[in-house]
Amino acid sequence: MTSIRSLAGACLAALASLCAVAAPASAQNYPTRNVTMIVPFAAGGPTDVISRIVTAHMAQTLGQSIIIENVVGAGGTTGSTRAARAASDGYTLITGHMGTHAASVPLYPKLAYHPEKDFEPVALLAGTPILILARKDFPPKDLKEFIAYVKANADKVNAAHAGIGSVSHASCELLNAILQVKPVGVPFNGTGPAMNALVAGQVDYMCDQIVNAVPQINAGTIKAYAIATPERNPSLPDVPTTAEAGLPAFQAQAWNAIFAPKGTSPAIIATLNAAAVKALDDPAVRKRLLELGSVIPAASDRTPEALATLVKNEIAKWAPVLKPAS
Amino acid sequence: MDIFANLAHGFAVAFSPINLLMCLIGALVGTLVGVLPGIGTIATVAMLLPITFGLPPVGALIMLAGIYYGAQYGGSTTSILVNIPGEATSVVTALDGHQMAKQGRAGPALAIAAIGSFFAGCVATVLIAVLGAPLTKLALAFGPAEYFSLMVLGLIFAVVLAKGSVLKAIAMIVFGLLLSMVGSDIETGASRMAFNIPELADGLGFATVAMGVFGFAEIIRNLDHGAELNRDLVQQKITGLMPTRKDLIDSAPAIGRGTVLGSILGILPGGGAVIASFAAYTLEKKIAKNPSRFGRGAIEGVAAPESANNAAAQTSFIPLLTLGIPPNAVMALMVGAMTIHGIVPGPQVMQKQPDLVWGMIASMWIGNLMLIIINLPLVGIWVRLLRVPYRLMFPSIVIFCAIGIYSVNNAPVDVILAGVFGLVGYWLIKHDFEPAPLLLGMVLGPLMEENLRRALLISRGDWSVFVSRPLSAVLLAIAAGLLVLAVLPSLRAKRDEVFTESEN
Amino acid sequence: MSDTPSEAPVRSILPKWIRGPQDFIGGLAMMAVALFALWASSDLQGMHGFSFGAGTAPRMFAVLLFLLGAGVAVMGILQDGPHLSHYSWRGPLFVSASIVFFALAIRPLGLVVSAFASFLIAAMGSHETKWMEAVIVGACLTAGCAILFPYILGLPMPMFPRFLIQ
Repeated sequence: MTSIRSLAGACLAALASLCAVAAPASAQNYPTRNVTMIVPFAAGGPTDVISRIVTAHMAQTLGQSIIIENVVGAGGTTGSTRAARAASDGYTLITGHMGTHAASVPLYPKLAYHPEKDFEPVALLAGTPILILARKDFPPKDLKEFIAYVKANADKVNAAHAGIGSVSHASCELLNAILQVKPVGVPFNGTGPAMNALVAGQVDYMCDQIVNAVPQINAGTIKAYAIATPERNPSLPDVPTTAEAGLPAFQAQAWNAIFAPKGTSPAIIATLNAAAVKALDDPAVRKRLLELGSVIPAASDRTPEALATLVKNEIAKWAPVLKPAS
Repeated sequence: MDIFANLAHGFAVAFSPINLLMCLIGALVGTLVGVLPGIGTIATVAMLLPITFGLPPVGALIMLAGIYYGAQYGGSTTSILVNIPGEATSVVTALDGHQMAKQGRAGPALAIAAIGSFFAGCVATVLIAVLGAPLTKLALAFGPAEYFSLMVLGLIFAVVLAKGSVLKAIAMIVFGLLLSMVGSDIETGASRMAFNIPELADGLGFATVAMGVFGFAEIIRNLDHGAELNRDLVQQKITGLMPTRKDLIDSAPAIGRGTVLGSILGILPGGGAVIASFAAYTLEKKIAKNPSRFGRGAIEGVAAPESANNAAAQTSFIPLLTLGIPPNAVMALMVGAMTIHGIVPGPQVMQKQPDLVWGMIASMWIGNLMLIIINLPLVGIWVRLLRVPYRLMFPSIVIFCAIGIYSVNNAPVDVILAGVFGLVGYWLIKHDFEPAPLLLGMVLGPLMEENLRRALLISRGDWSVFVSRPLSAVLLAIAAGLLVLAVLPSLRAKRDEVFTESEN
Repeated sequence: MSDTPSEAPVRSILPKWIRGPQDFIGGLAMMAVALFALWASSDLQGMHGFSFGAGTAPRMFAVLLFLLGAGVAVMGILQDGPHLSHYSWRGPLFVSASIVFFALAIRPLGLVVSAFASFLIAAMGSHETKWMEAVIVGACLTAGCAILFPYILGLPMPMFPRFLIQ
């Protein structure tokens, strides 16, 4: 038994050293210790995976570990509230996204933070295209039929979403507003359970991010009508864009971006932005992001200023769509 | 059959040195996480996720899976030794396990938990390999209506496992349901009873309440005047470490039944594993010749739920491996680990990633073998810990629990809340209210409410869906039957209660 | 747990017609919890059309708990039951103080200081505590935790007081 115990000890020691690999290399200024990146969504989701891929590379540039902390709840606003109240020393950051830093403003009248007033934009990371998905035996064959069907049966169809404030909820509301229908929205706890219900045929349609949907579409367990981006996506070459399929007004992308608490010094923001931009130019990072079906922003869209403009425009875009909902 | 070819391929993958090492690390960390109160698998897997960046994907997933089912082995340890369930699935283990420890039989209780888990793990692994794909249909057959009915059935289990007054047990369940309402409303996002405390926006954590009403309350109670005598007796009368022949004979059928129930319920995404352990306990209590032994140190009351929760932990991989849909938060993390490696799991994952799927299945069997080899010798160490004088033990437990709760969300408020629930739990003990039904109500409450609302949304407010859908109707019928069985004898046995009370 | 050690019943301040004071008070307390929950969820939306509002389920469970509490209290009047048990103050006070201290200290003072101090505060909760022994065990335990949690399990928590690091 002693041999097993000593082996066990050796393994734990090995694990401990694995944890300590990225120990401080003691730079003179920022960052001198681990940086915490709050991801306001469950680990394993699109925002989490994108954050992890990009921050893993950023950590190499910065010479410090970036620890992802998933603070889940209330459509991402719990984590965002915590980040807004964190010290603005550059050691607490957040990956915000379309929901937490735009759609939340009209959705939650009592929101404890404001995306523009309480955060400093750092860098736009990657966007995830949104698809219009349906259960595999849903009658309409293409987007035109879908529009006609949903309009004709507005009181019968059920639209699933992954919870109030989630990307799937906000983008479905946008679609419904464009189509001028009010189907029953069935809330689930996250995209996993919502996808399960769609695969099982318990709900009719949903709008969701491309990442989790691709293998299901390829296997034929669900079907996709259109992708809400200007161009087709390489991972789903057969799925038409909304413009091609006859609904050009529906354009939505779940953008993810790094924010710091208000008052973080411009020098730190610049350091972080440079690290993020460098990560987005790295071939390995790009490859992984593209495999997920993500859209990587062009160089001109990666500055903090461009992100500030994006947030402003997005808040203006979602406000009229989501206001009546709450 | 190509099952054998696949399994052989899986074992070839799993027996590579790196994968064996990963499996061992997973099993060790899992055991540690299970033993430490408060530290949950979700937090640990999330923390270890970045490490898996640098590992080959198969090894990474083997390790993460090992942590997940390894925690089921460790979770029973604190339940038995100090009456603190580390995971939701080991709440019922505390009922009889801790009583056994009080009678000096902590060793057999710990050993039977490990043996039961091992047996269940082996059977469930074979089940995944042979019947994984067809069993997926069960996961898809469960819609909101079925889940609601299953949750109702789960709450009836909570009534049955009560050893005292049924009325008070139901009151505790409803108290638990009420506590679970704190947080955000799923449909509207409205904040409910959270009093603008950000830490409450997400609801009360299971670990927070469980550490409070079980852990802290038990400690405070043990510090009462007059409790010392009771405690010291426990420490002196420790008997054998390993189960006797009679123990094994008594537990064998319970382990078998627990394995079957756990395997079936584990397939259902969300809440299946918790219900499995409660269901297994309830079944044993209902078919026992002398149900009054339960709650007073019946070894079946440890064997059945521990087998069930480990079987469920294994079969809960089925939806992930066959559909590519993660059934719970830990699996969602594993999907994250896969996507980081460029593998997006989907319905074709079995064909496209045979190394991964079959390697993981084979590693589960190896992992279970490692876990029993790790855990059986540990029994001796754990039991020796009971000899530590209580005056040193209780402050240590307080510290471990406090660190554990803090680590769940890095939130000091959670620690204070656990302290408050400690006082609530102390009061509940003083008024003879049982905490186990409260915890079950808390775990099942949100699942029940959300699925009820989903079902009614889909049916446009038509309540008949719960009886018109066959699976749902069957579950409700079982629930109704159990309730009648639970209420009738307890009304009759009311007077006997007084006698059993005075025995202790 | 029903195996509360039998203690000398406290002299009851309750009238004689309450035959089971333990259940009676227990039921009343549940009713109070239910009323509190009803008040706390009163601002939430109720049923709208066929679907539940945010407040429907909380209020439903609160009413149910109120009725069950009333049931328990009535049983306490009708049935002979145990008297109120004796509450001690020392254990609850120091264990709670230890927990609260840990919660307040972990962020600013770090794991080492807060775990050791909380250990000693908790130890005050028992009259059996021997101080030399408690200090030694507390120190060893703190050292063990300082290795176990941040390193082996990789959980992010501060180790030392903030003012010492900066």
